[in-house]
Amino acid sequence: MDYLQISNLPIMWVLCSFTVIIAALQALLFIRTANKATKECNINPEIPKQAFRIGLVSAIGPALGVFIVMVGLMSAIGGPMSWLRLSIIGAAPTELAAATNGATAAGVTLGGEGYTLEILAVSWFAMALNGAGWLLVTGVATPSLEKLREKLSGGDSHWLGVMSAACSIGIFGYLNINSIITKGFLNGGPAISNGNLIAVVAGAVCMMILGKFVTPKVPRLAEYSLGISMLFGIAAALLFA
Amino acid sequence: MENNNYMETWKKSCVRIGSPTNILAAVTAFIPVIYLCTVYDCWPSAQLILSAWALTAIAFGAFYIVEPVSYYASLGMSGTYLSFLSGNIGNMRVPCASLALDVTESEAGTIQAEVVSTMAICGSIITNLIATTAAAFVGTAIVSVLPAVVTDGLKLYASAAIFGATFGNFALKKPKIAIFGILIPVVCKLIGTLPAWLTILLTVFGTVLIGRLFYVVESKKAAKA
Repeated sequence: MDYLQISNLPIMWVLCSFTVIIAALQALLFIRTANKATKECNINPEIPKQAFRIGLVSAIGPALGVFIVMVGLMSAIGGPMSWLRLSIIGAAPTELAAATNGATAAGVTLGGEGYTLEILAVSWFAMALNGAGWLLVTGVATPSLEKLREKLSGGDSHWLGVMSAACSIGIFGYLNINSIITKGFLNGGPAISNGNLIAVVAGAVCMMILGKFVTPKVPRLAEYSLGISMLFGIAAALLFA
Repeated sequence: MENNNYMETWKKSCVRIGSPTNILAAVTAFIPVIYLCTVYDCWPSAQLILSAWALTAIAFGAFYIVEPVSYYASLGMSGTYLSFLSGNIGNMRVPCASLALDVTESEAGTIQAEVVSTMAICGSIITNLIATTAAAFVGTAIVSVLPAVVTDGLKLYASAAIFGATFGNFALKKPKIAIFGILIPVVCKLIGTLPAWLTILLTVFGTVLIGRLFYVVESKKAAKA
């Protein structure tokens, strides 16, 4: 049997399902805890419901992106393993890099000649070990991160709000620029991705127009603003890139 | 119950749920490969596994620590456990949580904010799990009938458009900080040889520092007025 046939055996779906089920179970346990907090702290029960709906709906766009990328990944590492890997930490390029490193370490190419079951196992180990990095760090160190945040906020709730916003601005500033600028001066650049530049700018402008002029008048639309802006950004990039 | 007192109860529950599930998932992710090696008797040498891991850790190892630290102020405790188990942090979890906090007008540091971001992230995880499970069963059939323009658009630009939209939402509220949130990574990326983990650290903590400067200056002004 070749490696992809073995990767796609029915038993592999079962074995991969344990980890996917843990991800689902964790989400359900947190929902239960949030519902309990809602009751005990007299929060309007509509608020968490609305929040849940926002998450459910706003994630549809990016999840469709994951859906399509996963179909590509399945042809490289098989269905069950793609399902496991893309249901937890590690995006498709990360997983492909880890799987490829497994082959590289053995001196062959992923899925190419000499990619035996032993080397398939090396690829699978590399992906599992890589994912374990984030899982173990957060599994163990999250309470310390909370202490760090408490220290940095110094109990000042106004500053905590500014700090959280500044942190998000930094994260998305980085993610924006990282997708736009592909090369800098010292590595043969500068070079940019026109498509990503247009998608970022169009997405941002659409969101700002919605937030400034539209959602104050039509509050119901606020829930869908991220989805609308994403579609606008994608359409602009497809049209003009 | 008083909200401030409940925060301690909330944090305890978060650790009790999050810590064991994240660690357990790290372990169960090895089940398929252990089965493969045992049943087909194809155990690779430890040296081979370690060198594959080393190659991967060179590329991603710094992120194991840098990402949880940098994202923490945005995700909070429950959000950190959820996001680093289920992934897709930049393109789903933080955008969904921040939009939900915004729409429900929840203030940072309150129990309502914790509940709202937790529920939004859980909602996005359910969507993600539906998508991956559907892809596993009907993905190939569906993608083969979709027009290329749709698959290309979603595959190539969905992330960038979400990144831009989420940034735009924050820029509306904190325009001065947003300028620096863009300037710092532009400088880092234009240099071209800084490692990604260092660029993230410089951008996130640089932006927080700028936020602190503005905050202190504005508080002093307010105190004088």
